[in-house]
Amino acid sequence: METKVRIWDLPLRLFHWLLVAMFLLSWWSAGHAQHLDLHLLAGYTIAALLLFRLMWGIAGSRYARFASFAYGPRQMAAYLRDLFGPRSVHPVGHNPAGAWAIFAMLALLLALTLSGLVVLGGEEGHGPLSGIVALETGIAWHEPHEWLAWALLLLVAVHLIGVVVESVLHRDNLVAAMFSGSKSLPAATPAVANHRLLAAVLLLLWLSAALVAALPWWRADQDHPYQPFAGRSLPDSESWRNECGSCHQAYHPQLLPARSWRLMLAQQEDHFGESLGLDQATVDELLQFHVTNAADQPLMEAAWYINHSLRADEAPQRITETPYWRKVHGAIPESMWRDPQVKGRGNCAACHSDAERNTFSDAAMHLPRPNPRGER
Amino acid sequence: MRTMVKMVPLLALLVLPLAQADTVDEVLKGYQAQGAGNFSAQKGQAMWTEKHAAKDGGAARSCTSCHGGDLTKSGKHAKTGKVIEPLAPSANPKRFTDIKEIEKWFKRNCTWTLGRECTPQEKGDFLSYLRSQ
Repeated sequence: METKVRIWDLPLRLFHWLLVAMFLLSWWSAGHAQHLDLHLLAGYTIAALLLFRLMWGIAGSRYARFASFAYGPRQMAAYLRDLFGPRSVHPVGHNPAGAWAIFAMLALLLALTLSGLVVLGGEEGHGPLSGIVALETGIAWHEPHEWLAWALLLLVAVHLIGVVVESVLHRDNLVAAMFSGSKSLPAATPAVANHRLLAAVLLLLWLSAALVAALPWWRADQDHPYQPFAGRSLPDSESWRNECGSCHQAYHPQLLPARSWRLMLAQQEDHFGESLGLDQATVDELLQFHVTNAADQPLMEAAWYINHSLRADEAPQRITETPYWRKVHGAIPESMWRDPQVKGRGNCAACHSDAERNTFSDAAMHLPRPNPRGER
Repeated sequence: MRTMVKMVPLLALLVLPLAQADTVDEVLKGYQAQGAGNFSAQKGQAMWTEKHAAKDGGAARSCTSCHGGDLTKSGKHAKTGKVIEPLAPSANPKRFTDIKEIEKWFKRNCTWTLGRECTPQEKGDFLSYLRSQ
């Protein structure tokens, strides 16, 4: 005699579906640097979910405990061999193949969140590893972080195929079971408690954390644009801000290599068609600040990439002429540059809300809305 | 004590124009020492709006290309669009308080606008006009 038996408690189901949502959000936001804030929301949520799952795997309800689905390789091989035959087994909780996929997915998720924190700390100077992880380390971990995401995607596909196969073979809707928590099972099967209170507390915790994270976005207005987070602070100089910043935005030395700055100051009598007429003491002071803090000694992600996009014999005089700048701005249509709000390629602040700080963080860029009265 | 603290910005307001008058007078004296005669604000004003053909064939240049017609208002750099704070001391008391700055900008901006450096006489005329704004 079969009856509906609860095997997945509410916290576990919440974990599952929140993880699905965050997995989708992290994939959607991954390709768009300007959505790094959402990517981080997904990442930090996944980290918290993993923490819960590890604890629930040790001290949770019967079928959630890791010990209840820790099958050895031989058991999995036997399960797969017999799967389509008459001797196929049908465990109440996770089957051996599904269990292996789950352990692998949990391990990958852990590696993904950790590598993500390394990239964030290194490239953006943000998060718990900021100041601990070097810029180069963060950049080096960026690609492995992406490979891990692809590996996880592959495992999710395996997991979904497994769900379909098992659902069909055993005439058992596993997707519905992950919603309701119950499966049709012999009445003698031990059921689990729903742990509704724990689920409510966890959900409330997550919602309040997400709300706190969303506050700066809520409060933003025209004069105080939404700045998800500020990256590291770059070396500053009063003479640089005064001398360079009086005619145009003060572009930080980090944005071009030392050889570019040397050439630029040597040619100060023809600075893009204008004679600067700086005295030698000022030139020397500017040269000192620019050469010591140039892109050759990168302190931020953009500097590293600008420097690495140049050949050693190139000394570009415009940041907009560097291959890296061109690459990352390649998708921006010509009409955007001519928009009266943007005014041209040299006006970084039109899209980068941290242009004044010169940090050019991924999350600090937002294309302005097209001006309906602007030139097309 | 509190009244004294309140006095500080007031004193600054009084002192800054004095510093300005001193600086400008000193600069003007220096120009006369270099051979300039008496200065005329009217002449300075006329030169301020005078247009000069650009050597690169671009639009004709004048001081107003960047500083605008109203000196009490902000101007805009002709090439980069960067906002330039008002030149008129009545709107911007920090102007003409530093000899080095005055000379730097005369040198750079005369070269761009006129295609040559200004003579002490021209600079004195400009300064006499500007300080009255």
